[in-house]
Amino acid sequence: MMEKPKEITDKNPFKVPGNYFEEVNRKIISETSGYNQEVKKIGLYNRLKPYFLIAASITGFIILSYTAIHLLTPEKTNSQLSEVLFDEYNDIYINDIDILTLEESAASVMLLEESPDISKTDIIDYLLLENIDINDIYEQL
Amino acid sequence: MQLINNSRDDNISELLKTDLNKGFRLVVEKYSSRLYWHIRRLVIIHEDADDALQNTFINAWRSIENFRSESSLYTWLYTIATNEAFALINKRKKNAAVSFDDLDDFFTNSQEASTWFDGDEAQVKLQNAILQLPDKQRIVFNLKYFDEMTYAEMSKVLKTSEGALKASYHHAVKKIKNLISKD
Repeated sequence: MMEKPKEITDKNPFKVPGNYFEEVNRKIISETSGYNQEVKKIGLYNRLKPYFLIAASITGFIILSYTAIHLLTPEKTNSQLSEVLFDEYNDIYINDIDILTLEESAASVMLLEESPDISKTDIIDYLLLENIDINDIYEQL
Repeated sequence: MQLINNSRDDNISELLKTDLNKGFRLVVEKYSSRLYWHIRRLVIIHEDADDALQNTFINAWRSIENFRSESSLYTWLYTIATNEAFALINKRKKNAAVSFDDLDDFFTNSQEASTWFDGDEAQVKLQNAILQLPDKQRIVFNLKYFDEMTYAEMSKVLKTSEGALKASYHHAVKKIKNLISKD
């Protein structure tokens, strides 16, 4: 273990205002006592009640909306769709897939190019602190 | 000293079950100073350490039910305090235009910081060297060098194996010695 140099051992270079610890202790205790009383009064059901109400409201709204749209919108059969519209939609769909594929390919290349330089020391620090055993790495190679 | 600390922690743990307010008061009185200095050595500035300390105890209070299944009050509190300090350091890095690798960086950004630092040349050198370490390694060094925490306890606080911590501390000491001897 690194021995503490004598001139450093006994002196703490950091200072605090006078009576700091008495005051901060008092503040912490008064804050936490008040919080405890509120928690005791509110039971689990009452705490969750607002969330249940919100969830029920959203569910009801979705059901009503779906029902209303379904009732009010006239049904369209396949025969009413023009072949032109279908083809246009198909082209757009295919183009989107191509663009996505290109973006993903480009992103992986960009990531490789933009990787920062990492020093050996940084790697060692990472391995040590993330608890990675060097033997596990050798086994994977 | 460790045995006395552990036995008193056992008494406090029992009291937390029977009289929560009284038990928590004892926790605050026993640990506020120790946790404050642990946080302060990481965040440097008194005001930041003050905020983090209060958040530590408030979070501890809120999750006091979880503690009852934990084995050690000491390591549990240090875990919360370390996480608070870490969160503050990361937040500061995101918001700041400069990096905090040197005490002067702190003193430039906060006049208050220099008021509450009274170190001589040797201590300034040591603190600057410690600030050069990666954050997690800095925590390992501080816990071992200043708090004299055992590797077993540190392992519970940082969720890292004892072997990795020993290696990390050894590595940190080497770096600090090199940095100090360079100046």
